[in-house]
Amino acid sequence: MNLRFIDWIWHVRDSLALPAGQSSEDAFDRLDPLFRQTGTTYQRTNDTLTFRKKDQPAQDKMSVFDVGALRIDKTAAGSVLRYDLSSRALLFCFLASPLFFGIGQMTVLISQFEKPKPQVEKKQADIPMNPIDKFLGAPEPDHSKKDKTDGDKKLSPKAAYIFSGIFAVLYVVGRILEDRLMKARFEKTLAEWSH
Amino acid sequence: MDGQRVGNRLIGTQAPVIVGWENIPKVEGGPMKQFVFTWFQPVMLFALIAFWYYAPNSIAKASTAVMIGIGFKLLLLALEWVNPRYASWRLTWKELVTDLFYVGLGFTLLRIVSHYIGSDAVAKAIQDYFHRDPFPWFIGLPLLLQGFLIAFIFDFGQYWMHRGMHNWYPLWLPHSVHHYITQLNVNKGAVGNPVELFLIGLGIGGFFDFLPRAALIAGAFGLAIGTYQHINVRFNSPRWWRFLFNTTEHHSLHHSQDFESTRSNYAGAFIFIDRLFGTCIDGEAELLGLEGGRRMSIREQMSHPFTEGWKALKARFDRPVAVSAE
Repeated sequence: MNLRFIDWIWHVRDSLALPAGQSSEDAFDRLDPLFRQTGTTYQRTNDTLTFRKKDQPAQDKMSVFDVGALRIDKTAAGSVLRYDLSSRALLFCFLASPLFFGIGQMTVLISQFEKPKPQVEKKQADIPMNPIDKFLGAPEPDHSKKDKTDGDKKLSPKAAYIFSGIFAVLYVVGRILEDRLMKARFEKTLAEWSH
Repeated sequence: MDGQRVGNRLIGTQAPVIVGWENIPKVEGGPMKQFVFTWFQPVMLFALIAFWYYAPNSIAKASTAVMIGIGFKLLLLALEWVNPRYASWRLTWKELVTDLFYVGLGFTLLRIVSHYIGSDAVAKAIQDYFHRDPFPWFIGLPLLLQGFLIAFIFDFGQYWMHRGMHNWYPLWLPHSVHHYITQLNVNKGAVGNPVELFLIGLGIGGFFDFLPRAALIAGAFGLAIGTYQHINVRFNSPRWWRFLFNTTEHHSLHHSQDFESTRSNYAGAFIFIDRLFGTCIDGEAELLGLEGGRRMSIREQMSHPFTEGWKALKARFDRPVAVSAE
């Protein structure tokens, strides 16, 4: 299977034009601090930079990405930075949604094997309310209902489905946000260049 | 690093830590901000207790508690943006995804496991075996006392479980993963190996018979005190609060990169338990985590206790047998 049809899920690819007159070396010099981070190793050639990150700190500006390549192409209109960044975090977030959906389904399956527990009737009516609570005006314990403490603790898939939805939303947000943040950071870093 | 002497311990020899309340930074800003971030914690605690004490029976139920818990966490998330303690603890998208994955596990898989072999299930099985009822006298106590005792007994158990985790290698293995967190955010309490999250959730509440309302009051103690262990908000907590209750300051020290500091402040909500047993240190740390603050991936967090345990077993049993030189 050609992964390129689906690898947009965890790859961020884009390009941006370098400021006029900026050489490949100048551009990579500007970007250099982004890769001088704990857990990051990188290699530079004339027009390509490849990096790899392991256990990157939370505040690393590129912590979402684990592997990537940046290449500078010279075109008639000027130089262009093209990059391809790969993120395990994006893939994980994408997969977390079906994972929690699966946990929800599993919960339904397990609860089908649960024997219905008998409703336990506890006589709470003969328990006097403490005089201090009476004095302070706390509501009387509800004696009319059965105490369902043993009978109502059924397994429910609801939480799993909610988390499945949360991760689906988080994925969409992250895929758009991290893409834009990275591009803005590259643009800002390169634009700070002066002749 | 020289470190500072606290009792008979030398704190901060491996990484910078702040010792003593007078040295901890204060909330910066105008009088309104100072007021809000001084009184927020006590007001929320007393408001929650009063709510559960007086709420009509129709709304004093677990589902309301879950909604209040979520709402409170969202409010604290907003406060993290308004008044962060440290910029280096700022929540990022990746940290949020990681944290919520563990929160999700807590609400789903761990709940299924606890349903069958959790402390309540075990307590019920033991009671059934001995044909004993839970302690019924407990239910006649004043509600607030019931609520406090439930929270205190759970926290007292958790103190010793947590202290055991830091002192006995088989228990340290699952707990060590939680100490690889490098910042404190509102959901970081959920981050850790699932085996540890199961162990830390064990209590002896199942042996007591208590009014449902008392359990909700106990939950308010946990929510309005215990939550501040892992949070990135700067508060000027009142003196009496930080004497009685666990704070971010205490818990950041417990998570610091300095080994000796991590062996302090074990309680979840009531720091006076640490004071009673001589394990409390009042202070704060910004640099957190093991191995100099190495951030562990989720994959490693899942496998770490088992791979390290296996290595330890191999090292123990693969020792070369001494052979006589004859």
